[in-house]
Amino acid sequence: MKLLVFKVMNELFGIESQYIYRIIDDSKVTPVCLTPECHEGLLYHRGEVFDVINLASFFGYPKKENIVNERIIILKWINKKMAIVPDDIAGMIWMEDNSEDKADYNYDGHVVRLLNPDDIWKKLTGLSHGSNKI
Amino acid sequence: MDLTKYEKIFSQESDKYLKELDDLLLNVEKDLSNQNLWTEIHGKIHSIKGMARALSFNRISDLCHLMEEWCLKFQKGASACSAASVQLIFDGSDILRSLVSKSGRIESLDEQKSYNTIIAKFQKSPEEYTEKNRNGAPAPASVVQPKLASIDHVKIRYSHIEELLGLTQEIQLLVKRFPPLLQDNLSAGLKNWVDHYNTLMKTLYFQLAQLRLMSFGDFADLFQKSIRNIAREHNKGVNVQVLGSEIQADITILERLREPMIHIFRNCIAHGIESPEERIGRNKTAEGRITIEAKSEKESLYIIIRDDGRGIDKSDIMRHLKEKQSLLDNDLNNMTEEEIFNTILSPDFSTAKATSDLSGRGIGMSVVAQTIEYMGGSLSISSILGKQTEFTIKLPISLSVIYAIVFTVGKHTLAVPTLNVQSIGRLYEHSENNAGLFYDLRKHIGIGDSEKRLSSFLTLKYANPPAGSESEMNGLKLLAETIIGNRPLMVLPVGDCLSKIKLYSGIGIMENGDICILLDVDNLP
Repeated sequence: MKLLVFKVMNELFGIESQYIYRIIDDSKVTPVCLTPECHEGLLYHRGEVFDVINLASFFGYPKKENIVNERIIILKWINKKMAIVPDDIAGMIWMEDNSEDKADYNYDGHVVRLLNPDDIWKKLTGLSHGSNKI
Repeated sequence: MDLTKYEKIFSQESDKYLKELDDLLLNVEKDLSNQNLWTEIHGKIHSIKGMARALSFNRISDLCHLMEEWCLKFQKGASACSAASVQLIFDGSDILRSLVSKSGRIESLDEQKSYNTIIAKFQKSPEEYTEKNRNGAPAPASVVQPKLASIDHVKIRYSHIEELLGLTQEIQLLVKRFPPLLQDNLSAGLKNWVDHYNTLMKTLYFQLAQLRLMSFGDFADLFQKSIRNIAREHNKGVNVQVLGSEIQADITILERLREPMIHIFRNCIAHGIESPEERIGRNKTAEGRITIEAKSEKESLYIIIRDDGRGIDKSDIMRHLKEKQSLLDNDLNNMTEEEIFNTILSPDFSTAKATSDLSGRGIGMSVVAQTIEYMGGSLSISSILGKQTEFTIKLPISLSVIYAIVFTVGKHTLAVPTLNVQSIGRLYEHSENNAGLFYDLRKHIGIGDSEKRLSSFLTLKYANPPAGSESEMNGLKLLAETIIGNRPLMVLPVGDCLSKIKLYSGIGIMENGDICILLDVDNLP
């Protein structure tokens, strides 16, 4: 199983490569009011609009300001699409499919937590809208 | 009354019917006594006649009427059809095409002569005409010389458009990343060249993106065969009428609607439209009719599917609600008719074993409704018992280009469709006294620095003014920080994540690729 591994608040997370559409940088994200705090805004890329989610904020941490070399990971899967912003991208790794416990993987002594985009999506759409984003 | 719009619709619809008529004539030529084909041919001509009559295009309706009489005879087997008769109907179709393109006008002596000749021929009986042509030596020649239609369309794969769009965007990004072009000390000539190049690339992208639009007429055509097959499965006859063929919608949205629409058609045919015998008993035509209509209102696309079948008995639904969901009479009395019909769409209704008349309507409709809701749209049902059932799919704005006034408030770029703006003005110091008339979005949705003075405003006009406040709300002045201008926007749906926010009606992409949020002025908080 190929995973894209990235860092959020010094923890490592991984997403299966099948969900990754593109990784881009230097792209304009347009903020949208009345969205949950973790919603950074909208990204227009190759004719499509993506909701951009800041992962640190999504996990309940304060947003990391001034991220150096911010990269956006665009995810696309069955009928769904979104973009996520980690604090940093570590790279692609190959892991043996651990069928017993699909949540955590050990990579070089570090724990990599597997994220399922569907879970992020479900939680995101369940968040309340209407909070002030100034 | 301006009839131009209706003439355009007439022309588009008639062209479609005439094309179908020619296809049917080609088939009937191989099977002259096929009464089903004659029924279909009759239906096409009848549809053109009906529309022509409504617009007082008498030449067209008169010719259609005579052609119909012939078809009726072949349909009922009252006259034997010959190859010469089919050729004459082909000729009639060519003349109709010519008349339709000129809104029923005849512009030359030759055209008048052709028209008179064909009318005279159709005034004879088919037998008389065939007999005459048998005795006369040559085979009937076409009375008109149809012009060869020019090839003005090509078919391309949708994925090819996506690839082109992607490449265009890549080229735009290349310019941004080529370091020499980002230097401040570029020569004026080179800078102009880069700017011009950028503008052209953005325009190219904007134009290419519009290739993603598909006409509703073409989309509706995709269902014709399925509807026919479903109708045959149920031993029923169904005519399909398409309205609003000219409406354009995003192919990605239409693609996702195909399954739900097939499901609705299946419901209409299986449970709405009665058997031919039952219909005749109710003084209806033996064949049912399904109308598929597209309308574009405000920033929504409406697709309406209507059958002229038995309708849904409201009292059966109410009985179901009382028995299965334990609703009291009082609860039912407080429900609107729309709410009652829409209970059919709830999962409870689908899984419950309702009365036999209703069960067919419910099964799977909740899945259809969920699919449409997932797209940010809604499905509603209305019905008149014994007459019709109507399914209305409302979808958020499809990909299209509209003009909108783009403005900023704080760091947010927003837009209001130009149709909803009466005027734009500047707010001077002395206008402060009228502060009550002004609407400051910052205070209502908490954006930007609410202390900063905003100096521009848009005077709004509403498509649907809020109830009870029409005079007050119409003319509301929406404050803005900077008015960017009246811009063409490529509009995309808001997507699942933002669809909960009723204030947004779409996402606008400006020609430079920047995003702005389209506001639904009827839903200002």
